Amino acid sequence: MNLITEEQATIQQAAKEFTAKHIIPNAAEYDRSGKFHAFLLEAAKSSRIFGMAIPKSFGGLEYSPLTQALVLEEWGYGCCGMATTLAASVLSMESVMLAGTDAQKKQFYTPMLNGKIGAFCLTEPTAGSDVGGGKTTAEKTADGYTLHGSKCWITNGGIAEVFTIFAKTDPKAGMKGISAFIVERSTPGFTVGDEENKLGLRSSNTVFLHLDNVKIPASALLGKEGEGMKIAMQTLDLARPAIAALAIGLAERALGLCVAHINDRFPARPFPGQALQFKLADMRIQIEAARQLLHHMMALREAGKPFSQESAMSKTYATDVAINVAATAMRLMGSAGYVSEVGKLMRDVKVMQIYEGTNQIQRLVVARAVLARPKAAAPAEKAMAK
Amino acid sequence: MSISLTENLDRIQVSAASFAEEFLEPIAADLDKSGNFPRALVAELARQQLLALPVVKQAGMAAHVDTLRIMSQSCPAVASIVNNHALVAYAIFKWGDEKLKNDHLAQLAQGETLGALAIHESGPALGLGPDALIGVIAGGKITLNGKKTFVRNAGVADVYVGFASAGAAGATSAVGFVAAASAPGISVGPTYQTMGLRGCPVADVTFKNVVLDAGLLGTVADGADMLAELSSAYALGEAAQTIGIGKIAAIHASAAARHRIQFGHPIADLQAVQQLLAEMATDAHLAWLGVLNAAQLADAGTPFTVEAAMVKSFLGRFGQKLLIDAVQVEGGMGICETAPPHFKGTLPLARLFRDIAGTTLCDAPDDFPEGLIATSF
Repeated sequence: MNLITEEQATIQQAAKEFTAKHIIPNAAEYDRSGKFHAFLLEAAKSSRIFGMAIPKSFGGLEYSPLTQALVLEEWGYGCCGMATTLAASVLSMESVMLAGTDAQKKQFYTPMLNGKIGAFCLTEPTAGSDVGGGKTTAEKTADGYTLHGSKCWITNGGIAEVFTIFAKTDPKAGMKGISAFIVERSTPGFTVGDEENKLGLRSSNTVFLHLDNVKIPASALLGKEGEGMKIAMQTLDLARPAIAALAIGLAERALGLCVAHINDRFPARPFPGQALQFKLADMRIQIEAARQLLHHMMALREAGKPFSQESAMSKTYATDVAINVAATAMRLMGSAGYVSEVGKLMRDVKVMQIYEGTNQIQRLVVARAVLARPKAAAPAEKAMAK
Repeated sequence: MSISLTENLDRIQVSAASFAEEFLEPIAADLDKSGNFPRALVAELARQQLLALPVVKQAGMAAHVDTLRIMSQSCPAVASIVNNHALVAYAIFKWGDEKLKNDHLAQLAQGETLGALAIHESGPALGLGPDALIGVIAGGKITLNGKKTFVRNAGVADVYVGFASAGAAGATSAVGFVAAASAPGISVGPTYQTMGLRGCPVADVTFKNVVLDAGLLGTVADGADMLAELSSAYALGEAAQTIGIGKIAAIHASAAARHRIQFGHPIADLQAVQQLLAEMATDAHLAWLGVLNAAQLADAGTPFTVEAAMVKSFLGRFGQKLLIDAVQVEGGMGICETAPPHFKGTLPLARLFRDIAGTTLCDAPDDFPEGLIATSF
């Protein structure tokens, strides 16, 4: 039971229906083929749901953070592969939302509202957890910048129309030399490599991108030069709860399938033993705790309070819970689980502990906050205390 | 590092390792892709005398599980085929009469016939589901009706060893039996698509008015104990597979961590990564000591079901975690089924992640090893 408004309940119900109608019946097929599910964008175009984070002034739905989480949970329940396509598109928008000018926002949002999608390009072969280790450069020219380098693990890379790309305007300055840019797919020199053949999230498109002499205008720069790292980190703070929401949806699905299976096997009596009951109870407790952590984090965000640490905690806890719940569901269902869609859930959930910042990186963030020494009291206070 | 076991065990270990390297390593990825039963391998396994180790005097259960562990470092699916097959031989060897032994053991050991264990049902416990397999003994014949679910090697097997509730549904005594796959009334359902261990076929087997003139294992009074022992032996085999998978995954993860440079250093230098690698190695090592101990008890003719239950309980908690953590250390590359063009090296972790889920399952809701352990002392 969640304390949500009537409007949120209506939106949640609509997301449930969308998931049941369009996502669940197609998930297995697209998981097998690994193909991109273009039909989903078509299906959602009229509702503008992929523009749920876009402000109303730009024609979007401007859902509150909590409302967005409710929708993402439903998508995650349906298929985290398809949901990742949608969530990653939202992620690419967040950078523009944070640092873009009105003209840039319009440039980025317009395709989104027309059923097109975006991609966020930060990771490079040498820069995973170590974001500053990237080699992609943005060389300043007379009328803009020229991009060189490559990006990997780019979700939506092969299908997106607009991209936020991070590159070094000052390669010697490390993290402080990173800047963010908006790049359109049609720009010459921008090529998409082969699609990765993944364990899970198979219908989500993941590719390598090559940037070879990609010339972009000065107006493509998001914020100021050197602000890229800040923009990237703030974007990920906003994006991590989306992963938490997908993971919570996935865990709900795993528990539901496990319970349905056990109910099938125990028609009336004997009632499942305590060993089984308690495991199911633990799964329920963990999912609920993960959901409340996420919803609380979204409430902080809505209230304009700091939420960076809560964002890290929420993503870490929800994805750890999700893999534990999926693995437990699989184990308890035995071979029936091994041949069921719980297998897909297991395959889908693993990467969630890795992408958008590994759970190890999140723990570093939390540990830093935990270990922070209290600020020294001001001299005047000290004097007064005496 | 482990101390040397016995000369025979060491010899078998070397033989299993060279078999795995020569025959399993090259086919593992393709077998996973196709899922086709690797029939040609069975003859080779027989030639190397690895098919029926539990019943070979100079080998035994310890040699069997060690072989499964080693094979699972290359291809856990083949180890599943072998475990199911070898335990059919074990059941006939331990509880069959002379005729059953003469009819089956040599053929099973030489790979001329393939065995499958039919021990699981779809109900809340054995004999309690709507399709429970019922065995009625009358006039020296066994009549079987019902269904066994998720039988490994189903369809490709020539011989089934199974257990049926004696006389009626819910009976506490069990009829252990040996049945030829060709017996009239036995039919095999469609092969399930499994997420891993692909190549070891899994299907349901239905028994409709199957009448066996012979083939009773032991006595009906001992049936439940026989099934418990067989399930324990099976659990040891699966545990050995889990450990083999976990060990090779840890090796891959550790190599990846040494090569992966972030923040100017290999991530293997980070305590958080060392913690994961160390836990993998520790859990696999301690579990292996438990498996070996239980297998040696079995070889000594001592009860080993409690020790096997401990291993199962332990790996129920830590088995899947071995691969969850190994993939975590390898990062994005760990979730790739095939190596991206820019990657040099092999990437088996995604496959092993799917495989290990299949070696750590509870195959019945009443599969509760902790119950046996808690009441044993």
